[in-house]
Amino acid sequence: MTTIYRDVYSFLELVKKTVMSLFLKPLRVKETFQQLYFVANGSLWIIVFCVCFAAVVTILESSFHMKLVIQNDSMVPGFASLLILRELGAVVTALLLTSRVGAGIAAEVGSMKVTEQIDALRMLGIDPIQFLLIPRLIATTLGCMILCVVANLICIFAAMIISDQVLGYTPSMFLTAMNRFVQFRDLIFSVVKAMFFGMTIPMISCFFGFRCKSGADGVGSATTQSVVFASISIIFLDFILSYTFSYFY
Amino acid sequence: MLEYRNLVKKFGERTILKGINLKINQGEIVFILGTSGTGKSVLLKNTVGLLKPDAGEIWIDGEEVAGFSEFEFLKIRKKCGMVFQHPALFDSLTIYENIAFGLRKHFSLSESEISSRVNRALKLVNIHDINDKRPAEISYGMQKRVSLARTVALEPKVLLFDEPTTGLDPVTTNAINELIKDLSRTLKTTSLVVSHDMPCALSIADRIVVFDQGQIVDQGTPQELLNSKVKLVQEFLAEAKEMLDHDSNVIRGTTS
Ligand SMILES: Nc1ncnc2c1ncn2[C@@H]1O[C@H](COP(=O)(O)OP(=O)(O)OP(=O)(O)O)[C@@H](O)[C@H]1O
Ligand SMILES: [Mg+2]
Repeated sequence: MTTIYRDVYSFLELVKKTVMSLFLKPLRVKETFQQLYFVANGSLWIIVFCVCFAAVVTILESSFHMKLVIQNDSMVPGFASLLILRELGAVVTALLLTSRVGAGIAAEVGSMKVTEQIDALRMLGIDPIQFLLIPRLIATTLGCMILCVVANLICIFAAMIISDQVLGYTPSMFLTAMNRFVQFRDLIFSVVKAMFFGMTIPMISCFFGFRCKSGADGVGSATTQSVVFASISIIFLDFILSYTFSYFY
Repeated sequence: MLEYRNLVKKFGERTILKGINLKINQGEIVFILGTSGTGKSVLLKNTVGLLKPDAGEIWIDGEEVAGFSEFEFLKIRKKCGMVFQHPALFDSLTIYENIAFGLRKHFSLSESEISSRVNRALKLVNIHDINDKRPAEISYGMQKRVSLARTVALEPKVLLFDEPTTGLDPVTTNAINELIKDLSRTLKTTSLVVSHDMPCALSIADRIVVFDQGQIVDQGTPQELLNSKVKLVQEFLAEAKEMLDHDSNVIRGTTS
């Protein structure tokens, strides 16, 4: 039990140091842009692919069940767009980024720790948080927000097409329904969620990377743990944020 | 120059260093021998503040550094260079940049000075023509030598070597041992070398310290150690003696 307290404490310690060096030390601009390119451009097609299928499944499943229960699926376009904007877009994006970017960061930082590169940085008076964590933190946060907007738009677009093709609701009917159910602030809330998710992923990955134990299995378990904990944190944060936002409606 | 007083380091419940007392004078070459996992690397890392001791004192150049902050350690790290057990080269930088990086961080030099110091350091470890390669493109032995060059290029007063020759061929091993000896004679560099290479310890060390289970079990000049009563020391020596005998037989031509 005490080890859990100690781990949480050292995570908070890392957050504190990160915030301090975020404001007090210069940013490695070039590295940040390289990371942003890796996060955003590299993950774009995976996310587009996944959210399209998420949209298709949402539409078809809800239509099937609505027809069974209330013999009518006219509510589907509205509900689907609500679900997409409030939950799917941000959460699917974040979970995909966790497995692609988060795992990569944990493995990279972990192997730098194991091969003493982090010690070598410290020997030169370089703060590993400023050097490694901050660029990844900023890049993943921005990347997640951008990708979240893209994912939402693509997802809604895919939902619209599938409603048109399969359910027979024309795009104008879809948009009318959507207009009744969702507002612009839903997109804003979604992006705010993405911002929190985007900060969580590199923090957790670097936390496990920095405390990676030596040996190849050390890097492996740092990667696994970072993905597991980041995923859990995202689901949990999503609950907290949705609950908080519900006061604004 | 460098002194440890009752140094204790624990990881959780395990005590790795159990009260180390050791004094090293300027210009001296001290070898640390010991079986795997006895805390040799941990001792070196404590010296430059990469790990923090749980008790005891570390004196460097008349300063007690164990309680220093990360920021205060910066000047100690300029004074004490460390060559890690792993090559620890930065993957994303070229060989040239790996060495130049530290020079840029620690000193304000012109590009031409940096370039000449990088090339001089690479020549010391017998490496040519790979300035633009990345660490992943050169062999492990070369990486180790570049890592040595990276630290030597900073010209620190104290050099801590963590197994600098492990995994290298005999020719390079000799070259590196000569280099350690040269640095101590010409620049009066103090060297603390963790090594398993007993014959070379006997030939270039001023003093040899033998570690076991986080304690110093014996220390002395090579000559004194040859007459040691401690079992571990004798085991370490047995192989080296054999090799030395073998070498002299080869020279005399009596080995078939
Ligand atoms: N950061 C750390 N966290 C926890 N335990 C550690 C850490 N670093 C080292 N240890 C433990 O301390 C002990 C001594 O390690 P150290 O690396 O100093 O051994 P060594 O004498 O250098 O051995 P080798 O010759 O294999 O390099 C080992 O049992 C190791 O597991
Ligand atoms: Mg070691």
